[in-house]
Amino acid sequence: MSATLSLTWRLLRGGGRQGMLGTWLTFGAVVISTALLLFAVSANLAFDARAEHGAWRNPVAAEGDAVAIQATRWDYVRDTPILVVELAALKPGAPAPPGLPAFPGPGTTWLSPALKDLAGELPEEQLAARFGQVGGELGEQALVLPSELVAVVGLEPGDPAFKVKRDYGSASPTRIASFAGEPTDDAIAYQMLALIGSVLMVVPLLVFGGAAARLTVARRDRRLASLRLIGATPGQVAGMTVAEAVMVAFAGAVAGTLLYGLASPLLSRIPMQGGAWFVTDLLPPLWVMGLVLLAVPLLVGLSAVVGLRRVVVSPLGVAKRETPPAMRFVRVIALIAALVMVPMVSRATSVTVIVIVLGLAFLAINLAGPWVVGLIGRITAKRARRAHQLLAGRRLVDDPRAAWRTVSGVALTGFVAGFLGLLSPSADLLGTRDAHQLRLSGNVSVTEARDRLAEAKVKATVERRKDTLIVALGTGVSQENLDRARTALAGLSPGRSASTENDDGMVDGQLLTDIATGTIVVLAVSFLVAITSAGITAASSVLDRRQTYALLRLAGTPLEVLDRARRSETLIPLVIMGGGSIAIGMFCAMPFMFAGMNVRGLVTLLTCVAVGFAGVMAAGALSRPLLRSVTLNPAPRPD
Amino acid sequence: MSDVLSGHFLTKHFGHTTALAGVDITIRQEEAVAIMGPSGSGKSTLLHCLAGIMKPDEGEVHLMGHRVDNLGERRRSELRRTRFGFVFQFGQLLPELPAEENVALPLMLGGVTRTQAVRQAREWFAPLGLQGMETRRPGELSGGQAQRVAIARALVSRPAVVFADEPTGALDQTTGQETMRLLVEATKHNEACLVVVTHDPNVASWCDRTVEVRDGRLTAQQATAYTTVLPAGGHA
Repeated sequence: MSATLSLTWRLLRGGGRQGMLGTWLTFGAVVISTALLLFAVSANLAFDARAEHGAWRNPVAAEGDAVAIQATRWDYVRDTPILVVELAALKPGAPAPPGLPAFPGPGTTWLSPALKDLAGELPEEQLAARFGQVGGELGEQALVLPSELVAVVGLEPGDPAFKVKRDYGSASPTRIASFAGEPTDDAIAYQMLALIGSVLMVVPLLVFGGAAARLTVARRDRRLASLRLIGATPGQVAGMTVAEAVMVAFAGAVAGTLLYGLASPLLSRIPMQGGAWFVTDLLPPLWVMGLVLLAVPLLVGLSAVVGLRRVVVSPLGVAKRETPPAMRFVRVIALIAALVMVPMVSRATSVTVIVIVLGLAFLAINLAGPWVVGLIGRITAKRARRAHQLLAGRRLVDDPRAAWRTVSGVALTGFVAGFLGLLSPSADLLGTRDAHQLRLSGNVSVTEARDRLAEAKVKATVERRKDTLIVALGTGVSQENLDRARTALAGLSPGRSASTENDDGMVDGQLLTDIATGTIVVLAVSFLVAITSAGITAASSVLDRRQTYALLRLAGTPLEVLDRARRSETLIPLVIMGGGSIAIGMFCAMPFMFAGMNVRGLVTLLTCVAVGFAGVMAAGALSRPLLRSVTLNPAPRPD
Repeated sequence: MSDVLSGHFLTKHFGHTTALAGVDITIRQEEAVAIMGPSGSGKSTLLHCLAGIMKPDEGEVHLMGHRVDNLGERRRSELRRTRFGFVFQFGQLLPELPAEENVALPLMLGGVTRTQAVRQAREWFAPLGLQGMETRRPGELSGGQAQRVAIARALVSRPAVVFADEPTGALDQTTGQETMRLLVEATKHNEACLVVVTHDPNVASWCDRTVEVRDGRLTAQQATAYTTVLPAGGHA
């Protein structure tokens, strides 16, 4: 075993510059894969952490003895929601809520750091006056995100606020036994959406990781076949391959973990649910890191063994190149079957169904991809009139799977883009809402409201419609005056805040905004995978064909023709498969569409397509210097 | 016979190593010349300089009376594609292309339409004993057959000079002899001259003349061809 390891190490190091380059490519691929995998996993854990942090504000009614009474409402400042948690102890020694040193006494208010800062910045009559005596600052445990605006208000148990039933999205007064609470419906929705996002990110990542593992094998094929010829046992060959792949993959996994660690402060700035993240929420726990460090090298090693099967079975297996058997049409039938299923399952729009349909469609595209690439190759080769078209077409026919690997990332991403572009609802859907008319429900005296507003020097007409007070501030109302009016009206109707129609839509609108943000994140990750994958595959394809390229160049073939052939080889399937996948993604999304076509989604989609295609072509162009270098010294023998 | 290709005082250094130390060589119309020498003697460097693959540090290369060593890379590429043909030891055929398209490739690169190029390429198959192999791919050909396809590809654009670098290096003795016969005959039939780099006297014996390179210099020019095959146990 140690002899195998030491020989592997020597071969790894002695592979020459281009051999080392291949190793570096695999290393790079594993680094990116690991970092992105950690991101996909951590994103889920981070949403779990948020759901957990926020659970205490979503009270669960006590079954036995209650120790406190709790309710929440939304207030607003500068178009930003403030969560107000109203608490009253029913017994002495009621437990302290998370983030507070003790149960807040009646009349004291605890503010989140961001709210405290804001209250200090804005004039008192616009915000600070809404809260009574400030007891202190809420700790991190009380908060879902660092910039969150939260006020915890201590009241008497008999406060009239606890008589008022709250609107949807807030918690009505509840007698509680502890602050355990439960995740809100919103938090659960976010967790589900994060799961869908992860599926969309992880599948291309796995395809890419597999390709990266085979990349080492492809170049080692010949050398390992030689080892077989001189009598190495299949076990030894397999052992060496696995050892090599695992060594590189382990180093890559460690570097990837570090990269993710370094990137997490940046990633934590992605706004979700109204603000950035606690960096600690995005850092995966040690057991996840351990698992990734173990699983990535293992998967890469396994993929390497699968790739090597041919060599191990027959020492001559690699040396011979014959026309590969055509791929079966059944691959396409699988895709058609998956597509037929989509409208059938559309009646049950649950997250599980969406995830299953996505997974199936993804797999089906991956199955049908190489077949379609082969078909494209045959058509290209048949219709080719120029040398580079002929070369490109023949290569596609020769190894459609390899060509598919180059474009699969973009094709799968195209599917994601098509799916999300159509699916993600636009915030415009909610329409423009009134933002200059405050409404306050409850049994409120019109006169007192008028007096308070006059005292605050806010011009407004106040009237009552049924049990709602309407405070019209005029169309040109400034943010300052709006907040002055809100502050003036604070406490007028216990358990309620004055809000505009726009304010009330804000919490719902947040989810839609976040879906749009999430879409961009998922697409960015997928494209990063696609572009890296295209770059690495292009470089490895140059390395694999370096002898032929060198000899062709030597015989006078212009570098441009070789390069153009390489470009066509990527571009032709890219356009067809990318376009096709987008169409399939859109088709799959149709049953789940919340509403009509979304302009913003379409723009995102088109931008992504443009960026993705340009990225893939640029990544491919990066290996042009490599092509030049392998063909620059064309001496076929070192004589 | 007129001079087709000539090198004058060709000198080439790689770092501190002198690969060519002032070589003069002339190749005449329809002549087949073997360049022999041990490994590292500079014979491949000589071929590369003559074929415009490398620029010599000093000296000149003339093709049909025109100086070619001082041309830019683009012009030299064009020259190699149009006026020269190449046969290497192995690995020069594109594995993805059927034999006939491998042969047609240089013509297509020169702007000939595909139909025309493939038709012209096919004409080479019968004379080289490759009937029926037109649509086979390199992986489905034997070593000797693949070398014959390479010969067809080298000759299809009607070059002035064919350069062969150990053309039989990967073949067994019998197949190698047969390949050399076809190479020499086909080249002469096309009124091209042939420059073969080899360390094998049996290969050199097919040529009209042998020059020997040692330490970057021509040490011997044998005007007459080898006529005997070295006995077994010789350095071949």
